[in-house]
Amino acid sequence: MRALSALTVAALVACPTFAEEKSKGCYGTAIAFFDSPKEAAASAKKNEQLVLVLHVSGYFENPALT
Amino acid sequence: MGALNVPKVGNYVNTHFAAAFQKVATFRVVGAQKQGGNVASYFCAPDGRVLHAIAGPVDADTYLKEATWVVETTKAAMAASDGDGGKFKAFFRKAHAQKLRDETGLTVEAITWDPPDVGEKDQLTYSDPSGRPLAPKLPPPPIDGPDVRLSADEFNARQQKANAAPGAREMSCGLGGRGRKVVVNNQAVMHQILAAHSLTKIEKVYGTVFENVLGEKISTKPVDVVRPFSWVDRDGHRLAK
Repeated sequence: MRALSALTVAALVACPTFAEEKSKGCYGTAIAFFDSPKEAAASAKKNEQLVLVLHVSGYFENPALT
Repeated sequence: MGALNVPKVGNYVNTHFAAAFQKVATFRVVGAQKQGGNVASYFCAPDGRVLHAIAGPVDADTYLKEATWVVETTKAAMAASDGDGGKFKAFFRKAHAQKLRDETGLTVEAITWDPPDVGEKDQLTYSDPSGRPLAPKLPPPPIDGPDVRLSADEFNARQQKANAAPGAREMSCGLGGRGRKVVVNNQAVMHQILAAHSLTKIEKVYGTVFENVLGEKISTKPVDVVRPFSWVDRDGHRLAK
């Protein structure tokens, strides 16, 4: 549990460096997410990157599940 | 979302990818109880065609390894294809077949042609509970069997490693599925599918990933949502129930 808290803190510190644009949020992860795949695709095309689309589903009562 | 919390994963993903999320409703029925909750990561070209995917939750090292593989394979495919989309696609499908061989010792023939699109009324389609079609079923190419170039010890070592990964299960290979039993896992099945279907649009792939790899029924098409995780807000602050 302590390790998980440490990771979350580290993620919170690491993410904002990449989420400087207002259109991105990190949602407690170390990854800066655009609001939609369409926005991500446009940015990827412009910056010559690939696109990561996360599909999340189901029951989220247990955060460890995903 | 363990791996997504880890800074080394975040640094790599934020450098090489533009990330976004969608919600896909899936569930698993256990007795009378509906359970569910899963995740799939799709690494795509900017036009939404899937280069690679991770089915289900994995640890940070695995996530980083798969993300690095797709970036490096994309570079190699671009160099080898010299702007030819067909060559790029064939390169990627062969790369998936090769990775399956490297990691499990199993061989699959990469499919370098595209099957004709199935219509929405085709039987090979996943549907929602009311019967409306959601996504096509993408048939995986058959696993032929162990790579004959491997010694028995080398093959067994790869199979043991495969058996330790998430989603490890037995599968019959060759002879129409009546052949030798071998071990595959979620990522192995992912490579098996993508050896035939990489560079297919994400909306055509997701049904097969959730139903065929993760064993969960899909009940909606992917939709854009305000929050990917219901327990945290945009800035990562935990929300009260």
